Amino acid sequence: MKRLIMIPSYVRTAVLELILFILCIALALAAPGFLTAENLLNVLRNVSMQGVIAFGMTMVIIAGEIDLSVGSAVAFSGCLTAYLVQQLTGPDAGWSPSAAVPVSMGVALIVGLLLGSFTGFMRTRYQVPSFITTLALLTGLMGAAELITNGFPINSFPDWYNFLGGGYVAGVPFPAIIFVLVFAFVHVLMNFTAFGRAVYAVGGNAEAARLSGINVAFVKTAVLGFTAMLAALSGILQSAEIMAGTATTAKGWELDVIAAVIIGGTSLMGGSGRIWGTMVGIVFLGIIINGMTLLNISEYWQHVVRGVLILAAVLLNRMQAGKD
Amino acid sequence: MPLETAGIRKEYPGTVALKGVSLRFEEGKIHALVGKNGAGKSTLVKIFAGALQPTAGSILLNGTPIQLRSPREALEKGIAAVHQELSLVPELSVAENIFLGRLPVKTGFGQGMFVDWREVERRAEETLAGFELHLDVRAKAGRLGVAQQQMVEIAKAMSYNPAVLMLDEPTSALARRETEHLFELLHRLASRGIILLYITHRLQELQGIADEISVLRNGEVAGTIGIQEASPATLAGLMFGQTIPTERPADLPVQAAAALEIRNLTRTGAFQEVSFTLHRGEILGIAGLLGAGRTELLRSIFGVDPADSGEVVVDGMVLRPSSPSQMKRLGIALTPENRKAEGLIQNASTRFNMCIASLDRLTTGGFITRERERTVVRSMVKNLDMLVGDMEAPVSMLSGGNQQKVVAGKWLNTAPRVILFDEPTRGIDVQAKQQMFQIIYDLSRKGISSLVVSSELEELLDICHRILVMRSGRIVATLDPRRTTIEQLVVTCMEDGTRS
Repeated sequence: MKRLIMIPSYVRTAVLELILFILCIALALAAPGFLTAENLLNVLRNVSMQGVIAFGMTMVIIAGEIDLSVGSAVAFSGCLTAYLVQQLTGPDAGWSPSAAVPVSMGVALIVGLLLGSFTGFMRTRYQVPSFITTLALLTGLMGAAELITNGFPINSFPDWYNFLGGGYVAGVPFPAIIFVLVFAFVHVLMNFTAFGRAVYAVGGNAEAARLSGINVAFVKTAVLGFTAMLAALSGILQSAEIMAGTATTAKGWELDVIAAVIIGGTSLMGGSGRIWGTMVGIVFLGIIINGMTLLNISEYWQHVVRGVLILAAVLLNRMQAGKD
Repeated sequence: MPLETAGIRKEYPGTVALKGVSLRFEEGKIHALVGKNGAGKSTLVKIFAGALQPTAGSILLNGTPIQLRSPREALEKGIAAVHQELSLVPELSVAENIFLGRLPVKTGFGQGMFVDWREVERRAEETLAGFELHLDVRAKAGRLGVAQQQMVEIAKAMSYNPAVLMLDEPTSALARRETEHLFELLHRLASRGIILLYITHRLQELQGIADEISVLRNGEVAGTIGIQEASPATLAGLMFGQTIPTERPADLPVQAAAALEIRNLTRTGAFQEVSFTLHRGEILGIAGLLGAGRTELLRSIFGVDPADSGEVVVDGMVLRPSSPSQMKRLGIALTPENRKAEGLIQNASTRFNMCIASLDRLTTGGFITRERERTVVRSMVKNLDMLVGDMEAPVSMLSGGNQQKVVAGKWLNTAPRVILFDEPTRGIDVQAKQQMFQIIYDLSRKGISSLVVSSELEELLDICHRILVMRSGRIVATLDPRRTTIEQLVVTCMEDGTRS
C-alpha cells in the first residue's frame, strides 16, 4: 500500500502522545469540566495508585516475565498494614500510632519485596514460569487478605494517615507526587544505569546476556521483587485513601496495569519497551475514563472502550514495526 | 536401480553452491558424503529431499529422470530422509508418529472419520519388527531415548518403502554403543538392496559404516573412493585440496608469562583431564573433529557449564570457574560458537550489544549515558573496520561478518587478558575472515592471548603459534603449525590409537 503523506519519523515515534493530545483537545471542547486544574489533578490522583505499579510491571515485562498478583498484593498489603497497626496500638502492645504506622508500613513493604523475590526464586531456581507463581499468589494473597481481616474492613488508622492517600502538597495530591517520583526513579534506572541495560538484555536474549557476564537470576529476581514492593506501596496509599484495610479492594488491577504497559508500547515478548510509554499509557487510560464519566457515558461502555484501545494500540505498534 | 545425478548445479544470487555434480550411488551399498562446511553437502541433500530445486542438471533413479518438486514428491518417488534434528511429535505414541498424516481409518459407520487404532498399532508393530526393534508402540515418543527415537525415525522413513534412504549426521547425539547398533541396522538395510546415503562430519566413523566415500569440495566432486583406499591422508587431500598457507605476521611475540593455566579440567561426558598453559600474547588453536569436546572445554573455562574437577589459574589465582560474570571480572572473554542465539541480542542495537558486557566500565557514579556509549562504539567500529550504517539499528540487520565483529568488539571493550574464540569465522565471508585474523594478531601484539577453536583446520595452521589436538575429550597432541601439513593435522584429529 502506498502512503499518501510522508510522516516524519519523530511524529511516528510519538503517535501515542499525538493521539493523547488530540483526545485532550476534543474533550476540552466537548466536556466543559475537563480542562480545569481540579479535574486534571483528580485524573492524576485516580491513575497514581495503579500507575505506581505499572512502572515496575514495565520492567518485569521487559525482562521477559509477568506479575499477575499485583491486584491481590495491593489488597493484602493494605490489610496487613491495617492489621499490624491494630495489633501494635492495641492494649497488648500499647504502641503509639505514630510509631506503629511507620513500622507497619515498613513491614508491608518488606513482605512485598519478599513475595516478589519468591516469584523470582521460583523462576530462576526451579524454572517455574512467573505466570504460574503469580497466578498462585493472585488467589493465595486474596485469601490471605480475607483471613487477616476476617472478611470485615479493619479501621485502625489514626486520622492523619489519610494524608498519604487523600492529602495535598501545594495543591497536588500526595499519591500523584509518589507516582511522579516512582516514574522518575524507574525512568532513570532503566535509561541511565547498568542495571537498566541488563534488564533489556535479559529480556532480549537471556542466554546471550548470561554469556555477557550478566547475572540473569539476580536481574529477574530484582525486578519482580521491586514490582511487588511497589504493589505494597500502592496498597498502603490505597488503604490511606479509604482509611481501612479491605480484602475486596483492587480486584482485577493486574489487568489494568498490564493494559497500560502494553498500550505504552512495551512488547510482551520482552526486551523492548519504554517507561515513558507506560506513563503515556496510564494517563491515556485515565483521561479516557475521566472524559467518558464527564460526558455521562455508562461505565459499561468504558470497559468496552478500554478493550478496543488495547487492541488498537498493539495493532498500531505492529504496523509501525512492519514499516521499519 | 542406482541413483544418479548428472551435472547438478545450484545457483544463488551472487554465489554458486553446486557447480555440476555428477555422482552415482549403487544399491546395496552405503555411500558416505563428506566435505568441509560450505562444500555443498547440505544443498545436495536438500535437492534429493525435494526441499530445493536444482538450477540445472537432472536426477535419475534406475536410469529414468525424476522430478522432485516437494518433500512429498521425493517420498513418492522413493527417496526418504532422516534429518539431524529428530522430527517426532513427543506427545504422540510411537505408532501414531510412524503413520502421522496417513492414519488408517475405520470403514462402515461414519466412513473415514474414525482412526482405526488397532490397525495403527498392528502395522507399527509389524514395521518395527521388520527391523528387529521391539518397542511399545503405545509409548509416547518423547519418553524414548534419543537412540530409540532415531530408530523410530528410520522405521518411519522405511515404512514408505523407499529405494533411497538418506541420513544426515545421524550419530551426532548418539553414544558409542548406540552408534554401533545404528550401524548394524544400516548394514542390514543395505543388504536388502536399499541405496543408503550417509552424510557426516565425523570422518573417524567412516571405516565402520561406509562402502564408498564421495568427497565434495567447493560445490564440486573432489573424488569418489572405496573404503579400502580411504586413509585419513587421502581424505584430507580430497577435502582440502591444495592449500596455500598465508603467513602469520612475524611481530607477534609469545611471552614467557602464563595468561591462563588449565590443570586436569574434567567435565564428565564432555572432556577429561585437560591441561595446558596459554602464554601472554600467544595464539593457541584447538583442533579436533565434531564432538571432540572443544566447545564444551571453552564453555567450562568461561564458567558457562562448570567443570566437575580440575583447576583454572588466572593471574596466580587458582579457581574453578563457576559463572561468566566471575570470569569476566578476571579478564576472560568468550565469543560463542552460535552468534545468533548466544552472542547477540538480535533486536537490540549495535550500540547496545557492544556495551552490554562492559557496562560497569562505562558508568560514572553509577550512571551511563548514550553519548558515552556512542563514543566508545564509534572508536570500536573504526578500529574493527566495520560497516555500520546506523549504530541504533537492530544488530540483526548487519551481515554475518559485521555481527561477528560486534561480538568481538563487545569483549574488547571489557579490556580482557584472554579471549576464547569459538568458531570465529563461521558463516562470514573471506574478507571478514581476514579482518578477524587481524583482530587476533592485534591482540597478540598487545600481549592479549587468544584461544581459538575452529573447524577450519587450515585457518588454525595459518594463524596459531601452537595447536592442541583434541580427540574424544582429551588433548592428544601439541603441534607446531610451521612444521605441520594439513594432512598431518587431519590425520592427528582422526586417528584412534590412544583412546582407552
